[in-house]
Amino acid sequence: MKEKIKEIMAAVFEINAADIKDSDDSTTIPNWDSLNQMNLIVALEEEFNVRFEDDEIVELTSLKAIENSLDSKTV
Amino acid sequence: MEIKYSELLKLNKELKEGNSSEEYNIKILSNIIVNQLTQIVEYPLQKIGVNAIASCGNFDNIVQDSIQFNKSNCVLIFWELCNIVDGFQYKSNLLTESEKFAIIEKTKSEIDYTLTNLNSTSIVVINYFSTTVFNHQFIGRNNYDVICRELNNYLESKKTQNVVLFDIDKIFAKISVSSSVDFRNYYSSKTLYTLDFFEAYSTMITPIITSVFGKSKKALIFDCDNTLWKGILGEDGESGIDMSGKSAKGVFFEEVQFMAKELASRGVIIGLNSKNNPEDVKKVINNHESMSLKESDIVIEKVNWNDKVSNLQDIAKELNIGLDSIVFIDDSDFEINLVKKYLQEVYTIKVPQNLYEYPAIFRKNIDLFYSILSTKDDVARVKSYKDQVVREQAKNSYGSINEYLESLDLEMIIYIDHKDLIERMAQLTQKTNQFNLTTKRYTFTQVEEFVKTNQYITFAFEVNDKFGRFGITGESFVSINDYEATIDTFLMSCRVLGRNIEFKFLEELVLYLETKGIKKIKSSYVKTQKNQQVEDFYERAGFTLTGDFGELKNYELIIKNQKKVAINYISVKYERKN
Repeated sequence: MKEKIKEIMAAVFEINAADIKDSDDSTTIPNWDSLNQMNLIVALEEEFNVRFEDDEIVELTSLKAIENSLDSKTV
Repeated sequence: MEIKYSELLKLNKELKEGNSSEEYNIKILSNIIVNQLTQIVEYPLQKIGVNAIASCGNFDNIVQDSIQFNKSNCVLIFWELCNIVDGFQYKSNLLTESEKFAIIEKTKSEIDYTLTNLNSTSIVVINYFSTTVFNHQFIGRNNYDVICRELNNYLESKKTQNVVLFDIDKIFAKISVSSSVDFRNYYSSKTLYTLDFFEAYSTMITPIITSVFGKSKKALIFDCDNTLWKGILGEDGESGIDMSGKSAKGVFFEEVQFMAKELASRGVIIGLNSKNNPEDVKKVINNHESMSLKESDIVIEKVNWNDKVSNLQDIAKELNIGLDSIVFIDDSDFEINLVKKYLQEVYTIKVPQNLYEYPAIFRKNIDLFYSILSTKDDVARVKSYKDQVVREQAKNSYGSINEYLESLDLEMIIYIDHKDLIERMAQLTQKTNQFNLTTKRYTFTQVEEFVKTNQYITFAFEVNDKFGRFGITGESFVSINDYEATIDTFLMSCRVLGRNIEFKFLEELVLYLETKGIKKIKSSYVKTQKNQQVEDFYERAGFTLTGDFGELKNYELIIKNQKKVAINYISVKYERKN
């Protein structure tokens, strides 16, 4: 799943998936601003067929957090 | 969405990297956040080679943005009623009369500013104000609806020729309100619409943009049996086929024929490509009481036993249109697949198994013919294409091409700075791709400026011959600077190719400029994917090449050195009306 998330992050932030580190978050990826945050969320929702609530979205600002959240939703 | 958003982002990136054509800038102005739309609106255009680059203006800054971005090729406006005042969807219902009046007047003046600022932008798409998102559950109308209607009436009354008002309620009808909006981040960050909404929006407005690139379809070619009527003429006979509105199976075909007839009246070329005996089909068209499409609606008939691919190629050639301008309808999988395999540019529609779905499928494709500048001339054009077919056939009965041209009684009428022709002149710059030396696209307002100012002279010509009238089919815009003139635009519709009209027109243009004291004329050829056929036009017309930069060639002509081409079989008249 991590690889799929990276692929989507790569498409949204216009970077290479291979360059994304497991520890990356919105402070280490320059294009990760609030607009792209929304784009990332809708792309993830579509890909994994899940829905994030508004309170969750503000927390989903690192690869780790996204992975954990998706883990809890897709089991 | 049809493809996933992240997939679209990826494909779009690849398309953009591989697209070297000139950028087509789309600016989205809005008072809500719609940033996902940028890539979704680019994608279908990138797919067909238009190098669309879209971006959003500043949030809730439509009026100021309309000044800043009026040089864009296209502006899309999302002006949401719910946010003309923060929380307007609920505040509007408790306003006093004077508050209501003030808000309406303020919005109207903002509309005025915006439309004035965007006056010279070639396409502006503005969504009608809509209350559907918040009011679709209510039986009655409230203040919010009343204000909405008033603003929409105002938009309509102020709409200029370059503006398309788009009814987003149609999207709500198509994919439902609940699939269109998501309130999750509306209150916190003013995002409202879903990816599905943006996809539907983009699909619906794409034809508006493609029409500017001359990518609107021009011809609709029908198979006959089980496509224009129920049954097989060769087997069931004239009385056995059915396209009557009064019969259970015929009614679908009558509906399609009516829609095709309406398209013919708007300038779409209707043609036939059918394996049948030509005399039998002629008889049906002329005599069958249920036939709605008449001889006069049908421009070209390829009714024979040739394969349909060759017939479509012949149709394109005889009408002088690209294969990518053709839509072909047939009921047979075999024929549809054959065309798809050998002529990928042709757009195909298959008559569905369930005939009751046929009219709906047909309707779904009508906007392929959407043309932003539909003018009166379109109607005359059908007649003109018909004449073209007669001419092609007449060609064969003359010995030499010159002999043939002489027999045509060609007449050219040149209109100089003619105000009534501004719309048609702008349309020609938008639509002409092949015989177009510089391919500059101009709006109504820009052409109007050329006509008014002394720095430019606009020439438009009409051609007639003994078979009929072509209407206004070519033009040139020339800028004047003392003794020197520069040909900014020189173009001609391909319908009149092959008659040396282009040389006659240029010759007349030079003669005219000479009478205005011009000594030297500069011109250029700017290469595009479609205009190779005119690459050496100025050389052939006696101009001297002064600079060759590959994609751009510059020329000049010293008028006193010009050798006359002397085409004597085209008579010329001038008209000037201001």
